[in-house]
Amino acid sequence: MALLVLAGALHAQPPQYDLLLKGGHVIDPKNGIDRIMDVGISGGKIAKVAQSIDSRDAKQTISMSGLYVTPGLIDIHAHVYLWKEPGGEAAQADAHSFRSGVTTMVDAGSSGWRTFPDFRARIIDRSKTRILAFLNIVGAGMGTGKEDDPAEMDARAAAKTAGENPGVIVGFKSAHYAGPGWESVDGAVKAGELTGLPVMVDFGRVNAARNLNALLLDKLRPGDIYTHCFSGHREELLDSGRLNPAMEAGRKRGIIFDIGHGAGSFYWYVAVPAYAEHFYPDSISTDLHINSMNAGMKDMNNIMSKLLNLGSSLQDVIRMSTWNPAKEIKRPLLGNLDAGAEADIAVLRVDRGNFGFVDSAGARKSGNQSIVCEMTLRAGKVVWDLNGRASQDWKTFPYQKQSWKK
Amino acid sequence: MEKMNQKTLHRPLWPTLILLSASFAMAQTQPYDLLLQGGHVIDAKNKIDAVRDVAIRDGKIAAVAQHIDPAQAFKVVNASGLYVTPGLIDIHVHVYAGTAEPRSYAGDNSLYPDGYTFRAGVTTVADAGCAGWRNFEDFKQRVIDRAKTRVLAFINIVGNGMRGAKYENDLADMEAKPTADMALRHKDTIIGVKTAHYAGPEWTPVEQAVEAGTIANIPVMVDFGANRKERPMSELVTKKLRPGDIYTHCYSGLRDELDASGHVNPTMFEARKRGVIFDVGHGGGSFAWRIAVPAIQQGFLPDSISTDLHTGSMNAGMKDMDNVMSKFLAMGVALKDVVADSTWNPAREIHREELGNLSPGAVADVTVLRLERGSFGYTDMYGARLKSDKKLTCELTLRDGKVVWDLNGMTRPDWTTLPRDYRQTGDRRWDSVTPAPVRNPDAKR
Repeated sequence: MALLVLAGALHAQPPQYDLLLKGGHVIDPKNGIDRIMDVGISGGKIAKVAQSIDSRDAKQTISMSGLYVTPGLIDIHAHVYLWKEPGGEAAQADAHSFRSGVTTMVDAGSSGWRTFPDFRARIIDRSKTRILAFLNIVGAGMGTGKEDDPAEMDARAAAKTAGENPGVIVGFKSAHYAGPGWESVDGAVKAGELTGLPVMVDFGRVNAARNLNALLLDKLRPGDIYTHCFSGHREELLDSGRLNPAMEAGRKRGIIFDIGHGAGSFYWYVAVPAYAEHFYPDSISTDLHINSMNAGMKDMNNIMSKLLNLGSSLQDVIRMSTWNPAKEIKRPLLGNLDAGAEADIAVLRVDRGNFGFVDSAGARKSGNQSIVCEMTLRAGKVVWDLNGRASQDWKTFPYQKQSWKK
Repeated sequence: MEKMNQKTLHRPLWPTLILLSASFAMAQTQPYDLLLQGGHVIDAKNKIDAVRDVAIRDGKIAAVAQHIDPAQAFKVVNASGLYVTPGLIDIHVHVYAGTAEPRSYAGDNSLYPDGYTFRAGVTTVADAGCAGWRNFEDFKQRVIDRAKTRVLAFINIVGNGMRGAKYENDLADMEAKPTADMALRHKDTIIGVKTAHYAGPEWTPVEQAVEAGTIANIPVMVDFGANRKERPMSELVTKKLRPGDIYTHCYSGLRDELDASGHVNPTMFEARKRGVIFDVGHGGGSFAWRIAVPAIQQGFLPDSISTDLHTGSMNAGMKDMDNVMSKFLAMGVALKDVVADSTWNPAREIHREELGNLSPGAVADVTVLRLERGSFGYTDMYGARLKSDKKLTCELTLRDGKVVWDLNGMTRPDWTTLPRDYRQTGDRRWDSVTPAPVRNPDAKR
């Protein structure tokens, strides 16, 4: 690499790219790219994706040989609103994002309209990860003891807060509602209608009237998102071992199905039959929180590996983690490698070997492929580099005498 | 969803049911809750570096032997090909998170511990001075008492703790007496005194920390701040510190650890003879290959390996405890020494000799590591890389005898062996990752 840098310096023109990712297998589902390509980055943006870009045109070139280069991963179901007071279940975004290639996290309803300003000021605006949010229809937000209180579900107030935070609030969340009625879903959908934003539903407790069929075929709008789709908690899988026909019918209407793995929402006995019926998720997401992070879920790459081992192609797994979620949250500038797009990039390796993947009950499924994040770029800057691929050998490194600074 | 429909089973159910009922029936007769079978045990305290079985009962190590009858265990886990060590101890972390104070180690620079510990095999951390006597009890109720990780702490000699330069350079807030009083009030948690980040020429922070450490009978850990001629590192380690006090960031090179000719400062060897401890404290800006490689070559090995985990180091060259340990393997340090530096040595340094070992009766904090072979790169604080063919990965972590991390599900049953609509597979005798199943109350020992 040092030689390449030197070559760049001798080239007549000043290098037009700050960074060149050379020779990686680019998977960019939006643009239908699935082959070895070079990616040039300039000014924090994707400058060019082409079959060959001259290293002399770049200040720094990193070999991506044997690796996959994809848009930065988008996890549309995470919980990262750490309260100022002790307690709660949120995790720290930057502690979990970049090391698994995630550059955008969408908080799934941890805050409501009353608490969102605090979430934004203390967490969203201070994080290096791009954090977006589904606003909980419950004004007090999640885990506050108010989630079953219809009086807290104020669609107008939620819509107003969304209007005040354009580009950050990307939808509304209905979650954990014990029912028996539809107040939570109806409130979220109403807020969605007022703003033109999608709704994500964690369907809480079902009953005879409040069931999956009514939700997916009647209550939700096309583009609304059903998360925890392989949980089996709400008759996604019938006693017959077949998928609930409401799932496929909902999909035909345009309902989106999202993983939302979490600590209790992904089971092999649901996912395997769903795959057998060719029912695949639209998007992969973690439902990251302190009780899922050390259990079966682990991180975004672990879930992507699970779907790879279930039989999804790598291309589909990347699509479910980049372009699909970008479309679902109506952020078409994310999740792709268009020239001009912000250079959020994940560099992934697919290891072959004997691996085990654990579901929410602690049941294992063996697999022979595991996705590992080698490098992550956020706005063109390297924010994670597992094996120091962007670095140079210490023996030739131009160490400067550095003094202590605080 | 509880009922099982025989017609729709994808696989035979009866063998599973027979096995399940057999295991319930046998529960009373199995003295061990968990048996780790056939792993290579490295236990520095007990000088074990060989394949051994490890049996656990009631959250404690029950036996370590060449062969333990698997019929004596409720749960048997095959650890062959892996290394079984005491739970790792990271004595330099920053975990006073949650106060929302920006640019403060008693705030946004800190991490909640549980997201970084178990997945790297760490079961005990020592916070390195985020809190002083004024805010320690807030730290305790906010983080320490809620964490699943065992969190111990060096208390900062600065009453306000590590809240930024304005506080950390305030000599008036460095008082031995209230610091020692707080340490003595929380003897179970406060294992030392920290002085850090001091920019001025005075010895006051070190002297007050040593005085507090002397009153409370605990060691002092020093991050020596700015390199000042008025208070050279050589004098610190040969005169000011007591035997058992800890010099952290020992491979930073920021305070004349290596001289201009590339030789380890001879006073460091001299200090080591006196009993001063040298700790890694990698961090975001305290580990350089150009210091560490020659130091190791010249025989200056660390006493303890620690991360200096904080938000500025987590995604840089440091990454996690396993990555820092792997760097020492990469420099040629033997695995058994790297493990000792991460278990028994730090346990002794913080006077917690009940930790960091696998003696029968010890708390069953256990780590199972895999030594991978391949092509790996490790970066230092400057972004310089050293290549290696070795890497440590944590496969399994037990805290108090219970599984708290299991990378590849080595303790878990294959899903095809379970009844349809299975909901829980763990058992509280060995598992704390998944909810415990409803058990027959008669099956209790």
